[in-house]
Amino acid sequence: MRSPPPRDCGALIARIAQAQDRDAFAEVFDYYAPRVKTLLVKSGSPPAAAEELAQEAMLTVWRKAASYDPARASAAAWIFTIARNLRSDALRRGSSALHAFDATFGAEAPAQPDAILSGAQDGACVRAAMRSLNPDQAQAIEMAFYQEQTHSQISQALGVPLGTVKARIRFGMMKLKAFIEREMRGAE
Amino acid sequence: MSARRHPSEERLLAFAAGTLSAPEAVVVATHLALRPRTRTWTHLAQAVGGSVLDDLEPTPLDNGAFASVLDRLEAAVPDEAREAVRAPAADHALPAPLRGFDLSPWRWAGPGVHVRDVLGPRDGDCRVILLRIAPGQSAPRHTHAGVELTCVIEGAYATDDGVFEPGDFEEADPSVLHQPRVVSRAPCLCVAALDGQIVLPGRLGKLLAPFVRL
Repeated sequence: MRSPPPRDCGALIARIAQAQDRDAFAEVFDYYAPRVKTLLVKSGSPPAAAEELAQEAMLTVWRKAASYDPARASAAAWIFTIARNLRSDALRRGSSALHAFDATFGAEAPAQPDAILSGAQDGACVRAAMRSLNPDQAQAIEMAFYQEQTHSQISQALGVPLGTVKARIRFGMMKLKAFIEREMRGAE
Repeated sequence: MSARRHPSEERLLAFAAGTLSAPEAVVVATHLALRPRTRTWTHLAQAVGGSVLDDLEPTPLDNGAFASVLDRLEAAVPDEAREAVRAPAADHALPAPLRGFDLSPWRWAGPGVHVRDVLGPRDGDCRVILLRIAPGQSAPRHTHAGVELTCVIEGAYATDDGVFEPGDFEEADPSVLHQPRVVSRAPCLCVAALDGQIVLPGRLGKLLAPFVRL
């Protein structure tokens, strides 16, 4: 049986930032390090590299805990972004200069009321939105996260035309956006 | 139908998933810096990335992995100290995503057209350039060997699809002959990801080909 995510992972990260709390770090590590490793293996990293990058990702969580802003992203999205950046650094040079910009989730822009932004920090809402997709759309979107390189590989893996993959992703994304906007309006 | 002026949802998803090539990611990031509203899509995509991560089956780490990471925490340099040793940003006033890169000198690339390389982001033949085109000038008519992503930084140009202004993003169609014309009073500055060489058709292309290196 799969364990549920730590109840308030954002609070654990805050304890790491404020008090270098190793117990909090252990909880985050136990849950996310093995999932980051799976993500990397599914993205094509050899197991040894996936192990190394998963450990590196957890070190980054420790080091950068102070820059995590729960108002802008769920802990899972933040850790996903850290893993993603390490993966692209490992794969190609020339991308690291970008991360300083996008890892902030646009924190330099004035915060404005945005249903997506408030919905996106709510992991449960995003998961519910994913469940509202039809299976083809959900699969195409999920694959986009761990397939290294492009939608044409997804197209090959699924045996459907590239245009179909793009359409599934596009309509799936629009559906997710509409779902979250509707749910967040309902919450007001 | 007017052309879209932002990246497609599937390209934004690939950006958030980290599967775009570095040159493409630089152009998309420039668009996001200039058009904060498009970030809704990347926020959404990153949130979906988090939910995908939560739903993955765990793969156990090696024995002793946690202890090994704890050991390295002792040596982990606090973030502030790392910021201080980072090299100063390159000396140019471009949108934030471009500031971390050095630039080549400008070189002439046709009447009224100058280009310079954004050094660093490369993926095979794909690379990033800045294009500066004088008011009233057209870029040389060209077809595309590969995908070309363009984001306007300053000024404006027009194509058959309409006017493109700062922040506007254009994905060139390889089958279309493309001849953007600058319609702003000031020069138009764009960042572009090019895959391979741009092909200049016709006699001008043959004349310029030996001299022009985009």
